[in-house]
Amino acid sequence: MTRVYGLSRDLDLWGDLMELGKKETQSQQNTENNPTGLKILWSELRRDKLALFSLILLIVIVVFVYGISFVMNQDEIAKVDLFSIHKPPSKEFILGTDYGGRDVFGQLIIGTRNSLSIGFLVTFLSGVIGVAFGLVAGYFGGHIDNILMRVLDFFQVLPFIMLVIVFVSIVPNYTIIAFSLIFTAFSWMGVARLIRSKALQEKELDYVQASKTLGTSHFKIIFREVMPNISSLIIVTMTLNLASNIGLESGLSFLGFGFPESTPSLGTLLSYATNPQTLEHRWWIWFPAAVMILVLMLAVRNVGEALRRATDARQRRG
Amino acid sequence: MAILEVKDLKIYFPIKAGLLNRTVDHIKAVDGVSFQIEQGKTYGLVGESGSGKSTIGRGIIGLEKITSGKVYFNGVDITSKNGKEIRKNLQMIFQDPYSSLNPRKRILDIIAEPLRNFERLTKKEEIKRIEELLELVGLSKESMMKYPHQFSGGQRQRIGIARAIALKPKLIIADEPVSALDVSVQAQVLNFMQDIQKELGLTYLFISHDLGIVKHFCDEISIMYKGRYVEQGTKEEIFNHPQHIYTKRLLSAIPDMNPSNRDKQFRIRKKVQQEFDQRYHDYFDSEGLAYSLKPISETHLVALQEDVQKVR
Repeated sequence: MTRVYGLSRDLDLWGDLMELGKKETQSQQNTENNPTGLKILWSELRRDKLALFSLILLIVIVVFVYGISFVMNQDEIAKVDLFSIHKPPSKEFILGTDYGGRDVFGQLIIGTRNSLSIGFLVTFLSGVIGVAFGLVAGYFGGHIDNILMRVLDFFQVLPFIMLVIVFVSIVPNYTIIAFSLIFTAFSWMGVARLIRSKALQEKELDYVQASKTLGTSHFKIIFREVMPNISSLIIVTMTLNLASNIGLESGLSFLGFGFPESTPSLGTLLSYATNPQTLEHRWWIWFPAAVMILVLMLAVRNVGEALRRATDARQRRG
Repeated sequence: MAILEVKDLKIYFPIKAGLLNRTVDHIKAVDGVSFQIEQGKTYGLVGESGSGKSTIGRGIIGLEKITSGKVYFNGVDITSKNGKEIRKNLQMIFQDPYSSLNPRKRILDIIAEPLRNFERLTKKEEIKRIEELLELVGLSKESMMKYPHQFSGGQRQRIGIARAIALKPKLIIADEPVSALDVSVQAQVLNFMQDIQKELGLTYLFISHDLGIVKHFCDEISIMYKGRYVEQGTKEEIFNHPQHIYTKRLLSAIPDMNPSNRDKQFRIRKKVQQEFDQRYHDYFDSEGLAYSLKPISETHLVALQEDVQKVR
């Protein structure tokens, strides 16, 4: 019972995170007896070399991108320079320039930063809304569940891309925050459904019933008792969602409904490839952006898959 | 006055079916049950699985919706509204010590949960109370910082008991508190429950399917079958003068340790089986349910058909 039991139940993300550092030395022995969820996640990650490599790569890219973009001047990069149009990679421009004479490397870094920021923000916001919504629906059940799920159904049948494009074109001040909020409004439903199904299971367990008889409020039971017990599911879902959310902004920018050209974006760089000339002769404009998107999404996905496996004892490698 | 009085309690579960999810029928989990428990006594509720004994307990404490009937606690009607005062005085011990403790919480937080809900204690007072409670249930102070999975089944059940008695309740509903434990630990937990009953003046509603334990533990016993009472009486009445065939069958099924009684036991079982086959309809109605209870002495009630009694 220890291992199977431990994985779905025993996951206290933040508490263990704190402990992990402290108990590093004795962790080897501890994992044998009663592995807590986070330790299982970590050991699974360590055993899956691809996932471990992905995680390290991801951390390096994130630190690098946020670090460099800190010292970069976005206005400078977005400035059109007619004397340096379509320059191939050189000492001055590491990755050359685009049709406006703008530095592609700078655009790549800022674009990656924007994509990552939007990915993190959308994942976090939709996670918070989805988890709260799903927990409430699943925990109370009955009529409340019915009403909430119909609301969710309504959101799910809306033509997502079309509405986003409409919103994007009517929002006057188009920033990362605005973009994330619009996306969040249409991407919390999957999380909510998943969490609801788990909460439906969880609320039948005796410890929830016990808390009710002990006079604990519903709010406390939902967020202090039930939520910590499904935290492994939350982490895994959020990680896998992150992989798809990173590509969100690029996809829309590629279609021309994302950020304006004054805001560098991976999608804008990619869309230059629709010009056959650029596609064939100026690889430095679109190729790095394509690789960046691919690497980011694959890396996050690898990590997410390893975490997902860790929550299922039968699929674990360790 | 009785501390708990249940009058004609009915708990039905709807059976939903069809496209519109309409209620097509009901499962009568509890079908018209009445009883009362005196202060300081232990009242046993016995029946096979699915007979509705747990549902009664859960209905009283408010975990199941009561379809009809009344529940009085100390003379106050608690059928629909569960005031804070009542919650405090009515606690429950759960069947499964593995799922009834939140695996994410320390023992300290588990036992402190009722205290934090009902009493304003400082951190120091709280720790002191929990130390007392842990000592009462025979666990060390150090257990406080551990998690539930670090304890054995018996220890976990005692932690569940410590949580239930933390507020010094008057009535505890014990829903098969030992059926998940092995026999040696069962005795340990039961003796302990009896000790704290004396110490704190508790009243138990003891739900069980184990007649041996009930005999050891309870003052009054009622036998349930398919949501209805078939027999109700004191321990002596039920065990020495069972009247209903269902009770007789249950009692004859208790294994006897002494091998020299083997043939005798076998004959008794055979006789009971014969009576069951021949007189089935004297004890159960056309739907196979028990009749309503008829008193045959001051405390002893049996579910019999009117005329059967006269025949006797």
